[in-house]
Amino acid sequence: MTLVADRPDPGAARPYSFPGVVRTPVAGGLVVAAHLPGQRLAYASLLLDAGAVHETAGREGTATILAKCLEEGTAQRDSAGFALALERLGAELSTAVDWDSFRAGVSVPAALLPGAVELLAEAVRTPRLDPGDVSRVRDDEVTALRMDWAQPGPRADAALRADLFGADERYGRPPHGDPASVAAVTVEDVLAFHADRLRRPGVLLVAGDLDQLDLAALGAAAFGGTSGDPAPAQPPLDVPVAAQRRIILVDRPGSVQSTLRLGHRAPHRAHPDYVTNTLAATVLGGAFTSRLNHLIREVKGYSYGIRGDFAMTRRFGRFGVSSAVQTAVTAPALVDTVGEITRTKDEGVTEDELAVARSWRAGQLSVEMQTPGSILSALATLVVHGLPDDYHATLRSQYLDATVEEVSAAAAAHLHPAGLTLVVEGDGAVIRDDLAATGLGEVIDAAV
Amino acid sequence: MTSQTAPVETGYPWPIATTRLDNGLRVVVSEDRNNPVVCVNLWYDVGSRHEPEGQTGFAHLFEHLMFEGSVNVPKNEHMRSVQGNGGSLNATTNPDRTNYFETMPSEHLELALWLEADRMGGLVPALTQETLDNQREVVKNERRQRYENVPYGDAWLRLLPLLYPPGHPYHHSTIGSMEDLNAAALETFQAFHASYYAPNNAVLTVVGDASPDEVFALAGKYFGGLEPVSSIPPAPHGHLSGPAAAPARETVTGPVPAPRIYLSHRTHPFGTAGYDAITVLATVIGSGRGSRLYQRLADGKRIAQPDYVGAYGVDLAHAPAPLIITATAKDGVDASTLEEGLTEVLDGLAAEPVTEAELERAKALLTTSWWRQMSTVGGRADTLGRYATQFGDPAAAGYRLPGWQAVTSDDINDALLTLRPESRVTLTYLPGEQS
Repeated sequence: MTLVADRPDPGAARPYSFPGVVRTPVAGGLVVAAHLPGQRLAYASLLLDAGAVHETAGREGTATILAKCLEEGTAQRDSAGFALALERLGAELSTAVDWDSFRAGVSVPAALLPGAVELLAEAVRTPRLDPGDVSRVRDDEVTALRMDWAQPGPRADAALRADLFGADERYGRPPHGDPASVAAVTVEDVLAFHADRLRRPGVLLVAGDLDQLDLAALGAAAFGGTSGDPAPAQPPLDVPVAAQRRIILVDRPGSVQSTLRLGHRAPHRAHPDYVTNTLAATVLGGAFTSRLNHLIREVKGYSYGIRGDFAMTRRFGRFGVSSAVQTAVTAPALVDTVGEITRTKDEGVTEDELAVARSWRAGQLSVEMQTPGSILSALATLVVHGLPDDYHATLRSQYLDATVEEVSAAAAAHLHPAGLTLVVEGDGAVIRDDLAATGLGEVIDAAV
Repeated sequence: MTSQTAPVETGYPWPIATTRLDNGLRVVVSEDRNNPVVCVNLWYDVGSRHEPEGQTGFAHLFEHLMFEGSVNVPKNEHMRSVQGNGGSLNATTNPDRTNYFETMPSEHLELALWLEADRMGGLVPALTQETLDNQREVVKNERRQRYENVPYGDAWLRLLPLLYPPGHPYHHSTIGSMEDLNAAALETFQAFHASYYAPNNAVLTVVGDASPDEVFALAGKYFGGLEPVSSIPPAPHGHLSGPAAAPARETVTGPVPAPRIYLSHRTHPFGTAGYDAITVLATVIGSGRGSRLYQRLADGKRIAQPDYVGAYGVDLAHAPAPLIITATAKDGVDASTLEEGLTEVLDGLAAEPVTEAELERAKALLTTSWWRQMSTVGGRADTLGRYATQFGDPAAAGYRLPGWQAVTSDDINDALLTLRPESRVTLTYLPGEQS
């Protein structure tokens, strides 16, 4: 046996380049496309300003129900006819609703994209929305949500969100609604949401070999019969931080683990500190060799894992830490977690830690940006957050160039351990006194 | 509407270069400079089909040990080296084979090859009783978590012995039995590595941002010094004299949320024209909202939950591979109603033959899924490794998509001969107290 004992050094880093981006205005809408030469599959997705933020209070989940109803038939075809027409091209409809947008898309061999986009537009612009189908889809969704909300997590998430953004604000309630709000959604709500939001042109995202694709024709299919102007963009929200830390207890009698959701508000996605914030959060709580995971999992053995990150949308962000810990160690785990966040804010990061974070983030960018699907998501990021077309090409070098001083400064500016909301979902009878004894903050019972 | 699915010449339109090192390691390279990433993939021609009685689960447990350090790579260093550079990695074991793979930024190609060579050639000296005991517990937890503690999770474990007779290499599952895992001795694993983890029992495939010359040179540098193994023990013979002669049935009562039924048959080995027809037929029956199961049981009769109907082949190459058809009852629907609906769909394929439109729909969906698999360097590397290992030629990967597209209604009729009620396996789950 002859093995080479020495670990090889990396070769010269190869340049990363994001595909060329083409913007084509068509019929009141905009086609934003990325050129992937030689790629057999092409992806197209309608990106509409119809995110969860536009839902009526008490009817959260309306957009999600509408998305699920798009495949229940169109003005031209019943649901079986629509499924057969789309699948005959090798396509299936995918939909997604988040705070900022409503997306519906298809992926097929490039030559079949025109037909698939016509069917995509037919479903999005002229769905049948038969009252019986809408009610059935809603009832199925309520059943599914009830199953989901019986698990640990959703109630803790809701308690944190309500505390950070206010239960009366849309951002303070769950993005896809809760069982009660979804049950309250009426057929009229769904019809009205469609009429208000899905008939404006929006943006068609395309990723594929553009030499094979006629973007003007795709745009014409996507925007035909639409009308209305885009709603004016709303500015980012302020970033208020609570004057005092507090603990919110979500009681889950008999729970063998406590679910932790810690957080405070943070800047929006397009904020100039995005890169340094992301690197600081990677050192603190990114999946790989982070401070939190090292202490809470490897050293103390409190948990199977713990993560911390910044989540960011067009108008707001939040810093958050999530974990599930054994009930008996809930209080010390909470103390240690707040301690690591405080240490990171006060002392910053080290060069060794940052080197790993840089290499991980920059490498991951290349590894993940291989497929038309991931390029399409990157295009959506550009459009939703108003970022420049060369954004991803420069992102990699920004990660690699970030210094210890810059990342430490971001940690100092954007981490607020003294203003954290600490949500604990667990067995109140067992952990309440321990939580109070930590001195981390007043213990309040959750309203969820 | 006329067909829009143009026939293709090949499903693998990228270059393929191959060589064989003196120690027998086959090296396959497919260069693609579109992205600065590279995938390194190893197929070892050893799976649970090689396990003798009393050693079930060994191939899979071994896969775990391969991440626990080797002569020059300390414990956890493999994972840390790949993920710390932004890469992704994994390994899987099935009845046929074991594969290991990592996708990395391409400047780390040499690192990935070094890591793989070290565990191919240098695992045994680093393997300790402590590591074995630790990973045995991990695997037992995996068995509990994935198969025992999940509603319906043990369906595959139950189907295999119903489909394949005792002594057949597919009779037992890859995860193995708790008893066999408990009895596993360190020496057995050392011998297992010595027998099967040999350069002449593996295919190294590199796809992406690297040239064949560069990869061949690096493969020689890192793998060239490893000794071949002269006699690699073959798996027991997988010959079967035809479809099962009698139906088999099992009913499980346990903590499941709703009745679920699996119907299964042995069909043809993966890689044959017969199995291409089975693949197309499975798509007709169970993929998408236009499939027969969705249209008739989820939408039509509304007796099955829409998200839980499906039909798929399990792509095994060394004996007739299974086709599995499944549905889960909606609230208030009992198992017998569901089974009646399922068998009506399956047995109705003869009276109500598959139409050209249904064939076209299935082929179009398979075409999209093929190109989706080919859209990453990882997907391409695993495919080339499979065809090099199982059919002796990575370029044979190019025939699969044309093979699906060539399936005719006559081929479907032939495929239906393997799905007769007299050779059917029926597995039923009923909600209730564990029996």
